[in-house]
Amino acid sequence: MSSPITSWEGASSVFTFADKPGVMALILVVAVAVTVAAIWITVRHEKHSYNSPMTKK
Amino acid sequence: MEQATPTLEELNTLIQMSGTINMEIFYWWCIALMVIIHAGFLSYEIGASRLKNVLTAGVKNILAFAFIVPTFYFFGWFIYNGFANGFTLDMEAAAAALPWSGSMGPNISDNATGIFWGAFALFAATTASIMSGALIERTRMSAFIVLAIILGSGVWILGAAWSWHPTGWLTTQWGFHDVGAAGCVHTIAGFFTLGVVINVGARIGRFNADGSANAIAGHSMPMSVIGLMLVIVGFFGFLGGCIIYNIGGQWTNIYGQPTTLSAFAFNTLMGFAGGLIGAYLTTREPFWMMSGGLIGIVSVAPGLDVYYPPLAYVIGMGVAAAAPLVHKYLVKRQIDDAVGAFAVHGFGGFAGIVISGIFLSGYPNMGEGVPPVNFLGQVGGALVLAVLGFVPGYLISLAMKKAGVLRVPAHAEERGLDLTEVPAEAYPEWALTGASTTYISTETAAPSVISAEAKPV
Repeated sequence: MSSPITSWEGASSVFTFADKPGVMALILVVAVAVTVAAIWITVRHEKHSYNSPMTKK
Repeated sequence: MEQATPTLEELNTLIQMSGTINMEIFYWWCIALMVIIHAGFLSYEIGASRLKNVLTAGVKNILAFAFIVPTFYFFGWFIYNGFANGFTLDMEAAAAALPWSGSMGPNISDNATGIFWGAFALFAATTASIMSGALIERTRMSAFIVLAIILGSGVWILGAAWSWHPTGWLTTQWGFHDVGAAGCVHTIAGFFTLGVVINVGARIGRFNADGSANAIAGHSMPMSVIGLMLVIVGFFGFLGGCIIYNIGGQWTNIYGQPTTLSAFAFNTLMGFAGGLIGAYLTTREPFWMMSGGLIGIVSVAPGLDVYYPPLAYVIGMGVAAAAPLVHKYLVKRQIDDAVGAFAVHGFGGFAGIVISGIFLSGYPNMGEGVPPVNFLGQVGGALVLAVLGFVPGYLISLAMKKAGVLRVPAHAEERGLDLTEVPAEAYPEWALTGASTTYISTETAAPSVISAEAKPV
């Protein structure tokens, strides 16, 4: 169950997995990892582009 | 049907909730207006780029926004809350800003954290965008993204914790006053940018062997000028976000001193107008006039809450008249800041804070033992923030330069970054003729120059 609540009465943090720190940590790690990966993919794209024969013409 | 008369307690709860929701609404629209700053930067940088680099400039600007938002969530907001004392972490103050805190997501008992985080994330993205334009046409996308994250989610927010925070040490110890963030946003971004621009070097063809400069005109000055006007529109959201909505009480500035939106309206508009005229007097051209309007606002930002409006007008005019000369000086030193970001933000912010030291001295600060605003505190604060911006910008970009990851290869720069990096065409009715990077109309060109080869992949 991703819901941390069973009733809205007296609820505060209502975001998904708010009551499951382990799952939150995992999602946070994934979010950081995909951000870093996006930068790495940009680096690879640049390397490929700058070495392309068409670019060097 | 008889209606029950609400109790005093019920009425109080209603008023409180109404105020809370109004507060959220106010900052929500400040955030929306700040997004317009990015529409402005996008337009202005695209206009300032040559045809061969138009889309790359756009992608770079969009990515700055995209990477700042999550990284500001991951650690930027934590820095702001945890480092008001300098480099010593106050974990108690920062705990609620950790990305796994119950306040850092939908929470129906906390109407403030998300909306303030959102406003600060937009301040962060603005700070990174200030650097963006200066680096167009020769900086690697990946290097720019990394530098934007360091500036937008790290350096400026550390400066904000020191200088734009109720308990920031520059205020509590030196009496520093800068309600409109001329220091933590503009001075830091401008000096960080200067450090990077020095290392990234000039665009090919910008300077001759004898040191003289060649003008490299962007492909659309009207687009740049409209973009700058959009930035100005967005700044009303930015400055609205600099003021604290107190439920049931008077507005305060970020230091807790009472103020009004009216005060901000007087001085923002007078500074803006003064800046437009000041830059007109020294340049006569619209790009610098609109930049001058921005300089006018930046230069009066430290005292938006208390300046006599004609004084704001004169300050804006003077700083904006001088800024193009600062830019000229950089060009003379063969420093190629493509859009004058240092002159507008670095010089504009720094000069504005120093000038505020003359006119704001004596205004009391809040809190026991906190010194009043004073000239030395303002000058010292401006210097601290300039150094805080310049040193990391220079050192990190120097390391990137030495590692060969800062600048695009010369052949890619000459061919144009759109052709090299972006699988789309800015102006499809025009074709690139090859290494010369000249564009000609597809309607008049010989078929040979519109070969598939010349199209981006």
